[in-house]
Amino acid sequence: MTSRLSALPVLFVRLQRPCPLVQNRGFKRWLRPTLQTLKKRKERMDPEPLPRRSSFTDWNYKSELFAFGKRLGEDLNLDVLRTAVTTREFVLNEIDQQKAVGIEIDIQMNDNSKMILEGSEIINNYSLNFLRSAFPKLPEEGVIAVQTYLTCEENLSTLAKNLGVADLMLTPEHPVEAVTLSNGFKALVAAISESSGIERANLFVRDFVMTQLVGKNINELWEVNDPLNLLSSILQRDGKQPFEPRIVAETGRNTILANYQVGLYVNKELIGLGCGESIKIATEVAARDALRELFDTTESMKPVNFDVESLPQTFANFSIQDWSSKNVEKLMKSSR
Amino acid sequence: MRNIFERVKQWNTLTRIWHLYDAKWQDPFDSAKVIQKYLKGLHKPIYHPLADCGDHVVVINCKEIAMRGDEWRKRAYFHHTGYAGGGTYTLAWELHDKNPLMIMKKAVYRSMKGNLQRRYTMERLHLYAEENVPQDIIENISSVIPQLRDVPMRLDRMPEDQVKGYPKIWDLPKDYVVR
Amino acid sequence: MSNSHLLLLSGFPRAPLQNGIGRYVPQLKRMTIKFCKSSGDSKGTREFIESKLVDFAKENPGTVVYVKPRRHRAPCVQAEYLNGEEHHISLHNMSLEETTKWINLLPMRSGRPTNLRLRKYWHTDSPSIQGVWSPFTNRDPALNLAQFPMEEFSKRKNLTKTATEIILERWQEQKEKDSTAPVQEKTTS
Repeated sequence: MTSRLSALPVLFVRLQRPCPLVQNRGFKRWLRPTLQTLKKRKERMDPEPLPRRSSFTDWNYKSELFAFGKRLGEDLNLDVLRTAVTTREFVLNEIDQQKAVGIEIDIQMNDNSKMILEGSEIINNYSLNFLRSAFPKLPEEGVIAVQTYLTCEENLSTLAKNLGVADLMLTPEHPVEAVTLSNGFKALVAAISESSGIERANLFVRDFVMTQLVGKNINELWEVNDPLNLLSSILQRDGKQPFEPRIVAETGRNTILANYQVGLYVNKELIGLGCGESIKIATEVAARDALRELFDTTESMKPVNFDVESLPQTFANFSIQDWSSKNVEKLMKSSR
Repeated sequence: MRNIFERVKQWNTLTRIWHLYDAKWQDPFDSAKVIQKYLKGLHKPIYHPLADCGDHVVVINCKEIAMRGDEWRKRAYFHHTGYAGGGTYTLAWELHDKNPLMIMKKAVYRSMKGNLQRRYTMERLHLYAEENVPQDIIENISSVIPQLRDVPMRLDRMPEDQVKGYPKIWDLPKDYVVR
Repeated sequence: MSNSHLLLLSGFPRAPLQNGIGRYVPQLKRMTIKFCKSSGDSKGTREFIESKLVDFAKENPGTVVYVKPRRHRAPCVQAEYLNGEEHHISLHNMSLEETTKWINLLPMRSGRPTNLRLRKYWHTDSPSIQGVWSPFTNRDPALNLAQFPMEEFSKRKNLTKTATEIILERWQEQKEKDSTAPVQEKTTS
């Protein structure tokens, strides 16, 4: 702080009493105005930039890289890892700096732009395979929506930040932006694949990306637009009778706090139950509930099994347009 | 955006149910203890004093409440106008003649603790002297609170043939003079 | 919880990044031990560095350990966690045993701020398996078709029979007996 303050033009602090040369004890009446002036000067300046962790004296980049790999339980090649956390801008910046200083350009640094693409492909492939085998009854649209959520920039950057990638990133920007962090995570997956094989990379994606599904409601990540029409078309494809909505319970019909419970019946059998403040909403929720039952994404569904070592290459789930329980069961039997 | 399932789940759990209570031949003070539980929502497993989860109760046949012993004659309701000498004592039968809802209302009001919530809780109590309740209130009802006592059948309201066919444990002696 | 804790930061127990479901990641990323080479209050810390630090670092390969001597200042240990939190412990005048104990605490923590008041000591993602209760749970479906007011629903749920009911039943039984008895007599005679 003192070095920054000394760069300012000198302002004379008017002191209450001239400071005597003789050291004396007692009330330090000069202290308050001095501190006030210092504070005012500080406020007038731009906000102080956050210090980089790497600028501290207790920082050893090599040890940090080593510990990072050990922390994740991976046997990483440190050179590959270093490349994975080096951004293109950083390398360009280094070249510029060396040019400016006038040194011969001798940069043999690789950046992570290639690894980002590789890693992204690994994450996308594995997550699609994993979701398809975990939710065989979920339509492909739902699988894509869940996958998009899991691999979005926000999610991946949070992962990277909480795994300690932010400190290691070699990038001119500070604090590190979400895009850079999420790219860093993708490159990290590629680095694992390069050092210990694609299998380890897949397990890494399973352990960190896929486990983010825990405690998430699939129906929150993917919502059907027109549940009533979708349900009736699915019933038609299954060769069943059309559903019949019936009020199962209601209360406070003539109040603004009315509540209806509507059940959907096919052949006198309940297929979905919904409630809401109006019959229309309750019917819609009942249809969603019936779909939830068909797609096996109910509240009481089994928790996702993350204890899978390897996944077979699966085919795409059925799309909403040609989803029917007969088709899905056939597909599930054939895959077993 | 909140999921539609979560939204309606909350709506469904905290919904206000409309209960019906038939006060015919029921003790108003015993009934009040039961009714206030429904008004406050104490009968629900989700009850919490800070959660607004009380239900509505529609009480019918308030005119036909019953009191034990000679309470109709002995129970007195005190009222003071606020002016000097403004205090009056009204007997229960007198009050019931003037307003058949008042005894039930006071019974429920007194069964609850005197706090800020009491008057709002009372808003959810709907009293009717007889069985004919307005249609828009009837349509709201979806549950019934069972009565505390059986309603006895009155001899003068029994059909003639049923009275004749009723088993007799003993008969009056032939020389007994009915006054 | 006393009144002085009302303004305390509060929260719920959460594992960072669902830690442990996939694989376990130790949350302590780096640790700096600061001490003085000569003063007496750093004695325990110096002994720790001499005898135990290497073993500690081997046991926790995921943690970078820095040692920072500084003249005539009290010893302390600064721990940094993956969630960005820092934890500072003073090692002033501590013996070797005490120092070891406090430093071994650090890798076991998740980095949750120490001044966080936990509102609950447990967490679940599925609070109810059978579904949340609603007033319609276990409701008699016959009420749907009821035309209110309806006397049969208002009736007290009798657990025992009244004396009148018992007498009526007996009378009914007796009547049946009387009507069948003479027929039996005829057939037997």
